Amino acid sequence: MSAGVSTPVSAPVVRVGRIEGLRRRPVMLAFAGLALCALVLALGVALGSVGIPLADTVGVLLHRLFGWPAVSWPASTETIVFELRLPRVLTAMAVGVGLALAGATFQGLLRNPLADPYVLGTASGAALGAAVAMTVPLQMVVLGIGLVNVSAFVGASLAVAVVYRLARAGGLGSMTSVLLTGYAVGALLAAALALVMYLSGNSLRQIFVYLLGSFALSSWPQVLIGLPIITLGSTVILLRARVLNAMLLGEETAGHLGLDVNRQRLVLLGAATLVTAAAVAMSGLIGFVGLVVPHLVRLVVGPNARTLLPLSAIYGAAFLGAADLLARLPGELPVGVVTAVVGAPFFLYLLRRYRASYAL
Amino acid sequence: MPIATVLGIVLAIALAGCQAAAPAPTGTPLQSPLPTPASAPTTTPGTTSGEVPTEAPATAGPTAGPTESPAESPVAGYPLELVGQDGTTVTLEARPERIVSLTPATTEILFALGAGDRTVGRGDYDDYPPEATQLPGVAAFTGVNHEALVALEPDLVLAGGNFFTPPADIERIRELGIPVLVLYAPTFSAVLDDIRLIGQAVDTAVEAEQLVADMQARADEVTTAVEALERRRVFYQIGSEPEIYAPAPGSFIADMIVLAGGEPITTGDPAVFAIAVEELVELDPEVIVVGDAQWGVCPSDVAARPGWGTMTAVAESAIRPVNDTIVTRPGPRLAEGLAELALAIHPEAAIAPPADQLELCPE
Repeated sequence: MSAGVSTPVSAPVVRVGRIEGLRRRPVMLAFAGLALCALVLALGVALGSVGIPLADTVGVLLHRLFGWPAVSWPASTETIVFELRLPRVLTAMAVGVGLALAGATFQGLLRNPLADPYVLGTASGAALGAAVAMTVPLQMVVLGIGLVNVSAFVGASLAVAVVYRLARAGGLGSMTSVLLTGYAVGALLAAALALVMYLSGNSLRQIFVYLLGSFALSSWPQVLIGLPIITLGSTVILLRARVLNAMLLGEETAGHLGLDVNRQRLVLLGAATLVTAAAVAMSGLIGFVGLVVPHLVRLVVGPNARTLLPLSAIYGAAFLGAADLLARLPGELPVGVVTAVVGAPFFLYLLRRYRASYAL
Repeated sequence: MPIATVLGIVLAIALAGCQAAAPAPTGTPLQSPLPTPASAPTTTPGTTSGEVPTEAPATAGPTAGPTESPAESPVAGYPLELVGQDGTTVTLEARPERIVSLTPATTEILFALGAGDRTVGRGDYDDYPPEATQLPGVAAFTGVNHEALVALEPDLVLAGGNFFTPPADIERIRELGIPVLVLYAPTFSAVLDDIRLIGQAVDTAVEAEQLVADMQARADEVTTAVEALERRRVFYQIGSEPEIYAPAPGSFIADMIVLAGGEPITTGDPAVFAIAVEELVELDPEVIVVGDAQWGVCPSDVAARPGWGTMTAVAESAIRPVNDTIVTRPGPRLAEGLAELALAIHPEAAIAPPADQLELCPE
């Protein structure tokens, strides 16, 4: 990798008054984000549709995590705190990291502000896989991971693999080709999904819930299998921040800078797809996070991937963890609805405020 | 990469899945009324005693009053192993004292068996009997609220099979160490089996046998009354927005129509629920039963639909609303539902009208 890539050369860098200060303080923003994550984690375990005394919550955590002696609390309290809430918050935050990073990666690679983790057919592929698995009356659960999770993961990965192969076979040979192929394959898969849903009969309801996204079924086995996958993919992406910066200049320029464009593109696409597939397998389709969190971060700190990627990961985790908490407090709302209802107005506000300064 | 091949395979799997997921066909439609051998096929003997459904717990002693509950006696028969509709064996260590029921039918059955006071939670839409609505609801349309369920500390959860309770939710509850008995009845006689199974599970086998006998007697009254009457072609309108929905062959409603002395008009495919109007015109129903009358669809609306005038049922004004809840809910009121359905098909039949009828579509 060429050393010349190290400075981000974003095209129209613009001055923007107050956020200029924050832009120079990404480390401070990172620590604030981590504190926010800790707060969301604490609130997520402490609050829920059932009221549990704070002392019991803390006691259960100390008991289960550090082997402190158990004090008297109902068995149900222990189950709720440790088997339901904790894995659920962790899943939501892990998925938030994954979706935000994948979104930032796709936006950078495709140089398209509308790109999100689902842009290359991941969403329709995962949904189709999950829907097919749901209509099968088999209940296969191995190591706590169901057929639905596996099919969603496979569907998402397969969709992108097919898109990539088709795009390379085509003449365009660029990310434009990948983007358009992704759109076409996604449309095809969406049609297949519609057909499966139409014929699914009694499992239609389940498919519908999956399409809205939910963390209601999060469990420890899911965390233990999903988290390493997301960590692996995220690490690969985070280590390639400079590559992403170079790609923002255009593939040709990146090539002139000494980058093995084809190889790096494949690695980044693969990592982002892996992360997205794991996320959708764990939680269904949660929109908005992957699209908007990177934009929010970019609005504040600018397009340099070396700050954009870590901050997106941190704020993605905090945002989705908080959204899931909001979703389950009044009962059980679809978390994708909450992310959009909370996130869209905030995003609009930032856009209006700083629109002069924006660049991918 | 031949994407068409991949898609083809995926679709083939999907379609196969759909076929298999549809309600299990009951073989030949039940022409003869209700053969129910005493042994319910879904049960296995308990580990300690080979229990017989018709027998009260051994310690009950002389049963003076027939309505006396054996609840106070030391509970024999536990631990008990039962097999639910999903084929999963459920072990009950002791008599269930905190039951959560996730479907309207199982909630009704629990209350009918006198186990309502041991029921601590329900599905959000379990609306009968009125006492049941006082219980906290822990399962919405979209799934189970696991946290609220666990907080009720249930020792038995009754769930609906055939995707009524999402299978993933059932799996999750079991992972948390709570026994889940899955019930699903595709026919009238299977409902009686479900009632027996629940009776065994919650230690009310005597009450269950009594309820089953009552329902069977009422069903016999209906089938006897319609036996001599001509079987009419019946279209049971399950819904009419945005398409016309009819029973699938082998479905629960088709079974009910046969018992009620009708010949069901079905969609012809277990995985298809909508029926084309032209097909309906071709099949020419003699009676149209308006199953969606509770949602404001009335016989006059049906008769006014363009193209429907040629059907015999419309020409003869044989369009009758029913209380869809009792006709289709596989619970203790089903025998009354059967009577209501039979009277909609054969108003002239000598059948006592069902108890507490709904006022549907007043003229």
